[in-house]
Parts: sequence; C-alpha cells; structure tokens
Amino acid sequence: MAGQTDIQAVGGARAFRLPLPAPAGPASAPSTWARLRKWADKRFYTLVTIPALVVITAIVAVPLLIGVYLSFTNYTPVLPSFAWAGLVNYDNILDNSQIHVAINNTVIYAGAGIVIQLILGLGVALLLARPIRRMAIFRVIYMLPLMVPGVAGAVTWSVLFSTGSGWVNYFFSLVGLHQPNWTGDPRTAMPTILIASAWTGIPIVSIITLAGLLSLPKDPVEAAMIDGASSPRILWHVTLPGLRPVLAFAAIFQLVNLFREFALFQIVTGGGPGFATTVLNYYVYQTTFVFGELGLGAALAVVLVVLMAIPLVVIYKLSGIGHRNG
Amino acid sequence: MASTAGTTDAGMWANRWARLVSRKRVANIVTIVALLIGAAFVLLPLFWIVDTAFKPVGDAFVIPPKFIYTPTLGNFNSLLGGQYNQYIDDMGHSAIIMGISVAFALLLGVPAGYGLARSRFRGSGAITGWLIVAYIVPALVYIVPLYAIYTRLDISGTYLSMILYYETFEMPFVVFMMRSYFSDVPRELEDAARVDGCSRWQAFRKVMLPLVIPGLSTVTILACILSWGEFFGALIFTGSSTITAPVAIEQYIGLDSSNWSDLAAAALLLVVPVLVLAGFVQRGYMRTFKSASTG
Repeated sequence: MAGQTDIQAVGGARAFRLPLPAPAGPASAPSTWARLRKWADKRFYTLVTIPALVVITAIVAVPLLIGVYLSFTNYTPVLPSFAWAGLVNYDNILDNSQIHVAINNTVIYAGAGIVIQLILGLGVALLLARPIRRMAIFRVIYMLPLMVPGVAGAVTWSVLFSTGSGWVNYFFSLVGLHQPNWTGDPRTAMPTILIASAWTGIPIVSIITLAGLLSLPKDPVEAAMIDGASSPRILWHVTLPGLRPVLAFAAIFQLVNLFREFALFQIVTGGGPGFATTVLNYYVYQTTFVFGELGLGAALAVVLVVLMAIPLVVIYKLSGIGHRNG
Repeated sequence: MASTAGTTDAGMWANRWARLVSRKRVANIVTIVALLIGAAFVLLPLFWIVDTAFKPVGDAFVIPPKFIYTPTLGNFNSLLGGQYNQYIDDMGHSAIIMGISVAFALLLGVPAGYGLARSRFRGSGAITGWLIVAYIVPALVYIVPLYAIYTRLDISGTYLSMILYYETFEMPFVVFMMRSYFSDVPRELEDAARVDGCSRWQAFRKVMLPLVIPGLSTVTILACILSWGEFFGALIFTGSSTITAPVAIEQYIGLDSSNWSDLAAAALLLVVPVLVLAGFVQRGYMRTFKSASTG
C-alpha cells in the first residue's frame, strides 16, 4: 500500500499539473491527433458513459415506446400486416371479465405477499442482528434462497406441494392436519403461491433490513437503554423509525419482484385452477405468447406498469427516500 | 442460625437461577429456536433436491420419505445418458449466453459506472434514475415489443436475440453497481495520478480499475447468477438450438411428473454452480441492497 500513500501525498499539489504525455499518433497530423486526445480527455466521463446508455436505450427504451405504439394496434406475429386500432385493446380490457379477475388476483397476491414478507422479513432481520455466537451461519442459510435459480425453487415447491407423495402433506399428516389438494383447490392455490414466494421474499427483505440494522448508529439505542426504556419501546420508537427508509426500499424492491414473478405461476399452478392464480403478469404472458395477441398484450403490459406504479409511488412519497440524500 | 442460613441459601439459588434464566439468555434461546424453525423452511426445498438427486429412483415417491438409503449417482447417469441427455447441451447454451452477455455488460457497463460516479455533467442524475426505472419495469413490458422486433428481423431463437435480451437487465445492473463501487474510491487518487501525468483514461485503467477489483468480481459473479437463473425471457426467446438449462427443466424434465429423480438431479446441476459462486459474494448481496437503497 506504500504506492497509494505516495499518490495521496502528491494529491495535494494540484496546482502543479504536468503536461499530458506526448501524443503517440502519426507524425503527419500531430496537432489534430493531440486536439482529439485532449478533447476526449476533457469529455472522458461523458464518453465512457455513452456506449452503455446507447445500448440500454436501444434494448429497453425503444422497445418500451414500440410497445406503447403496438398497444394501439391489432398486431399479431402470424399476420404480415397490422393496422391502427385506436383504443380497441384498452376497450377490451375494460370489458373483459377475465382481465378483471386477473387484476383482482394481482392485488390480492401482491398485497398479501408484501405484508407477509415485510413483517416476517423484519422479524428475521431483528433476530439475525442479535449478537449471538455463530450467527454468521444463520445469515448464510437465510441468504441461500436468493441465489437459487427461480425455476429450481419453483419445480421443488411444486413437487413438495403435490398431493400423492408431496412432503408438505406428509408433514401435515404427521400432526394430524387436513391434507389439502394444494394446487388443485381454488382456495389453497393462491396460499401455495404465497408460501413459495415467501421462501425467497422473506430472505430478501431480511437481508436488506439486516444491512440497514447493522449500519444504524448505536448511540440512540444506548441512550434509550440508559434512560431505562424497555426493548419493545426501543424497537418501536428508536429502531423502526431509523429503519424507515430501508424498509421502504425493501417494500419497493420486493413489490417489483412480486409483480414480475413468473416461474411460480408457470410451474406451480399454471394460473389455475380455473383463473384462481392468474395474475396480470401471467395473463399478459398467455395473451401474448400463447394466444398470439401482441397488441392486446402490449396494452395489458401498459396497464400492468400503471398498476404497479401506484403502490411504488405511494411508498416512495411516504418514506421520504428521495429527500434523504439532500 | 438456621433460618438465616436458609435465606442465604435460597438467595444463592435464586441468584443462580436468575443468572441461568437471565433475560438475555432466554432471549437468545428464543432467538435461536425461531431461527432454526425459519432455517428448516428455508432449507426444505434444497434438502429435497439433494436428497432426491442421490436417492435410488424407486424411493423417490415413497411416503413416509426414506432418509436412510445408499446414495447413488444413478440419477445423474440416467439424466445425462438417457432420454434427457440434451440437458448437458442446454447447460452449455446457458453457459455460452452467460459468458458473452456478462462480458459485454462489463465491457460497456464498467466504464459507464465510472463515468456516472465521477461525472458532473447535467442529467447524470436523470440517467441514474432512468437506469433504476429500466431495472424496475417488468421485463414483460419490453419483452412483448422485443418479440415483435425479433420476429420482424427473423432473429428469434438465436444467440444474438437471447444475449440482447439478457443485456436488458445485466447492463443496468452492472452500471448501477459499478457506479456505487467507484464512488467509494476517493477522488484524490485520480487527481494524484493526473498530476503525475496520466490522462483520465490512464488514471481509470491504471489506478481506479485495480482498486475496484473486489467490487468488480462481486458484480461479475452476481451478473452471472442473474444470467444463469433467467427463465421468463429465455422461455420466450429460445429456439431449439439455444434452450437454456432453466427452460429445459420446465419444458421437458419437469413435465414428466413420474420422474422426480431426474428432475432433482437436473435441479441440483442448476443450483450447485450458483451456490459455489455465491460463496464468494455473500457480502455482495448486502452491498447490492445497500447501494441500491442509498441511491
């Protein structure tokens, strides 16, 4: 690290700026080359940012705009031509009762999912933050579901919840509980999804919250303890307010994950039985890629964005995340 | 006197008892019990995968589950040598897509992260905001039009189409994370390099890049994990010659509900590389969330 210290020591002497190294370009046009290099050096930060931005714009922003355009057409990939359809697709959305069911399911699934995962995730984080020996082992274990590819998790939960030889029903039989037909019964299908979703969701929330908990200043808690406040009061009045931005971030992050969940619906329930677990995301997939109605699918995707933007914006405004960094 | 002795005795025991069941101790025990219950839930699916992957085929469906058996590699033999021998190729497709897409995301994303970390140009805040939006918007919203574009250009099912789609989440991720790592390096180091005669490019390559190697490796591994596990877009964009491992599991191995042994073996092969890689980046996960939550 000696080299670094040297550099730092010199860092103070900004006034003595040495000239740039001599240009190595062709001797025939040294001034153009040098000017170009100087210009590139001056604009360096902008220039290195541009390529990535161009690519991201081309593959995300442009498709987004095209998608909005397609939502006003009757585009299907099987037909060579398509026409402007105005608001027909949006009209269909308003009239289609299946879509209403899907939106309803989305609200129930995302609402129940985020509440369960935030509360239990916060609980796990508070436990993981306690100074107990070998806590690191638990922290690693609780991080595992974040790393497992979604498909592996989904197929495994699907097997665990299966009726014949599924382990969940075996555990239920051990304690004498009624063994439901988890994915076949409309009443238990959504809870099945929520349990499988909590398997990754709770760890995500708890890891985010744990990171926040560990970086909270210790002084307020110690001051409250000296004043003789009980632990629940400290939790409620000191720790939780301090965690508010982190919890808001966890809520936003996890809501996004809930809205974009696909593997569980495709693999565990297939949106069924009937429409019991057809959420909007999954319905768009089916409309677009199973039934080939790209125009309608694009319109539904727009609706999905609006639907998910509402809670995100509300949480963002309530939490004051935006004001924190000045 | 006997009575005094009695009280001191009782006092001593009460004291010991109090120490034994001190509030802290009780709280710790409750904590550990609760965490153990949670850990059982967390580990259950992983345990099923490992258990069934090494269990003889005949025992896979037995209820109550048999946990005492001679572990066998037979399931891997039947998976890779039997009707699903395509799976090894599909894992290869995943690896190719992962390698190229992550390399490309790093090639453009690392300098961009640096540029955004250091830039004072107008709109750099807006660009960061746009990156976050690109990351938040459900993949579906641009998958639908991308699909239309790909069919028009007649490139659906090719590596090119897959890799371009993978960049939609890998590149914003790399830019965003690297911006955070570069922001942690004091600006003075660069200034010093510039005083010593380095151009900005040289300062980036010779001073900054070596300093963020730990962060860079974390970001690389996390991007690989994202790529390896991707399912939704892969399901839509794969052609027969580019099927990825997650799609393979869903499309042909998982469809056969009478063959859990091959399924578990396939799932294990999908999970193990990730867990091995993830061993290096536990802190990286914390970091991801921390840098994201502080904007």
